[in-house]
Amino acid sequence: MDDSPLLRLRGVGKHFGRLAVLRGLDLDLCAGEIVGLIGANGAGKSTLLSIIAGLMPPSRGERTFAGSTGVGLAERARFAVVSHTAQTYPRLTAIENLQLFASLREKAGAHNEPLLPTLERLGLGYAARRQAGTFSRGMLQRLALARALLGRPEMLLLDEPFTALDRPGRTLLANVLAQERDRGAAILLISHDLEALVSVADRVLLLEGGVIAGEVPRAPEHASFGPRVRELAGRMPSVGTEAHA
Amino acid sequence: MSEALWGPGARAKTSLDMVALRQAWLLAVNDLRQEARDLELILTSTFFSLVVLIMLGMSFSALGVSSQPLAVPGMLWLSVAFVGALTLGRIFTREREFDTLRALLVAPVERVSIYLAKAFVTMVILLGCSLLTVLGLTLLFPAAQPFADRPLETFALVTMGCTAYAGVGTLFAAGLASSSGKNVLLSVILYPLTMPSLLFALVATRSLLEGHESFTTYLGQLTATNVLAFVVGAWLFEPVLVGVPQKRRGAARAARRRR
Amino acid sequence: MKNILPFAMLGVAALIFPTSVSTIFLETPIEQQMGTVQKIFYFHVPLAWIMMLLAVVCGVSAGIQLRRDSKRAEAVSIAAAELVLVTGLGVLITGPIWGHATWGKAWTWDARQVSTGLLWLVFAAYVLVRHYGAAGSERLAAGLAIFGAIDVPVIYYAVKIWKTTHPSNDVAGSLPASMWAALWPALIALLLTSLALLFIRVRQELTDVTLDEAWISLDDAGAAQPATGDA
Repeated sequence: MDDSPLLRLRGVGKHFGRLAVLRGLDLDLCAGEIVGLIGANGAGKSTLLSIIAGLMPPSRGERTFAGSTGVGLAERARFAVVSHTAQTYPRLTAIENLQLFASLREKAGAHNEPLLPTLERLGLGYAARRQAGTFSRGMLQRLALARALLGRPEMLLLDEPFTALDRPGRTLLANVLAQERDRGAAILLISHDLEALVSVADRVLLLEGGVIAGEVPRAPEHASFGPRVRELAGRMPSVGTEAHA
Repeated sequence: MSEALWGPGARAKTSLDMVALRQAWLLAVNDLRQEARDLELILTSTFFSLVVLIMLGMSFSALGVSSQPLAVPGMLWLSVAFVGALTLGRIFTREREFDTLRALLVAPVERVSIYLAKAFVTMVILLGCSLLTVLGLTLLFPAAQPFADRPLETFALVTMGCTAYAGVGTLFAAGLASSSGKNVLLSVILYPLTMPSLLFALVATRSLLEGHESFTTYLGQLTATNVLAFVVGAWLFEPVLVGVPQKRRGAARAARRRR
Repeated sequence: MKNILPFAMLGVAALIFPTSVSTIFLETPIEQQMGTVQKIFYFHVPLAWIMMLLAVVCGVSAGIQLRRDSKRAEAVSIAAAELVLVTGLGVLITGPIWGHATWGKAWTWDARQVSTGLLWLVFAAYVLVRHYGAAGSERLAAGLAIFGAIDVPVIYYAVKIWKTTHPSNDVAGSLPASMWAALWPALIALLLTSLALLFIRVRQELTDVTLDEAWISLDDAGAAQPATGDA
């Protein structure tokens, strides 16, 4: 694979009527990096994710994934999305939930990881035969992540992945994401939780006013950015490194 | 099929259709399996059919035998229309509650498979309810006796009628579910659009009850409208649900790079 | 030039219309069986044709809208759907008046009546979805319009078959040539008026789109400044 970024957004804008949500946003996401994207409620994080995932065409600008602007079957087999809603079938067991998507992928000619080990990797091995409807929010979140990891995606998009997770859950998530990054996956994390983002991501970008307003520095003293970034950086705790341990 | 028209799935069309069909079958089986575990749709829809049936019985019990053949077809298909709107609304509300439709839309799943699977499940449930209604009408109204005398024809007729309803309804119910739309709009859209199919079904039912030769002709016409509804529904499903990518260049390049 | 076109069409229609009316009422013979009320035919039939035409225009432009993500096609589609409602209302009002005089009943469940009514309902649903639907429902509405346009012949055929199982009313037979001759000017006047209204409504929608875009680019410029200034 060449050096060009896996995901490239150029001048992406999205508006609903007169409400501009994204205003000409540029973003590069390369293989083997974790990029965090932080923004307040209504900053357009979910809209951006929908555009990247191909659920919504941008009003203007261009979205390129692996050299293609299309979001066909072949492209969708190469990335995965973990939404802030769990998106699992409550009447199916954990393993059945995975099995369904694995079979669907198989029919599309895509490869799958073995199911049970994937569940075990996320600490859900003990609950494999339980219906997802009985799961806690945190367990559902991990199940959704397991489903996303099934196809060893080249790009992994996560929307607010920390919200439902407890402390051990966050550590687990951070470890899994680091492993995926080291394997060569490009990972985009979207959240409003700066502390959690900084502890996991290689770089954290600020989404504000519908554009990438700047990069949140790794250490507060480097804050030669805008006032909003400085403000955020001021609130930032010392950078956690547990993810890379 | 819609993939071949709109998207960059640059593979041979035939293999693409097979993928779509296999995935559709998986999704349909998955839906039915879930339904078998909690029976929510089946029980609520059956109950609603019974309620409608009882309302019809009470409203029209005084109807003379001579005028019954004119009224019974209307009762059957009105009941299908009401139960169908309820079933469709419920199927997609369930998808929306757990946001599973979005998970399917970002997965490597042909969009048309989602359409076919949902239409199939709707059809199966609706068919069950309609057969119950037919049975009830046969017991309540003497003029509906031909339903029992010609079970094969009745079954074919009811199947075709329900298929028409499911074909049109699935497209719009899915569209409303994905755009966080309002369910009240479903009835607004559904009834005017399904009217032609219901009219064909109505005419066919009447000729069945009256023992006319023309029944098969009408059934054929109903089938033709079904085919039309399904082709248009499948064709429109992806553009209505997610829109089309603005540019298609780079698609072939990506397909070549991919193994 | 483009701005003048619809008004030129309205002007031409305004010239044709009085002559057409005078031809209809003063020069064309009064129909034997139906009497003076048959004059409504010269307005009813053109309106019905125009309604069908607009329904097809709406469906086709909705298809282009979906296929190309085209705002222009979307504007045409909206305008056409609204005019289907207006012309349809005309058809549905004039029809029963004529029917009342000839058949003694305003609404006879005639195939044409019912199919017109159904078509009107489909496009009323379109307008409702456009007004009350959430974001993204413009594509849903487009799907509805396409289905509606495809339904035009199916509805007509379905109702016709459905009708054959009812006792039917015989519609007045063939009309003399002089009556057809009076129909054309009326058709042209009404068609020009409808098309002019269509153009005006499309332009209105496009202006709306342009305004939205202007608003957005202004917003962009305003929002971009502090960001670039800081970085």
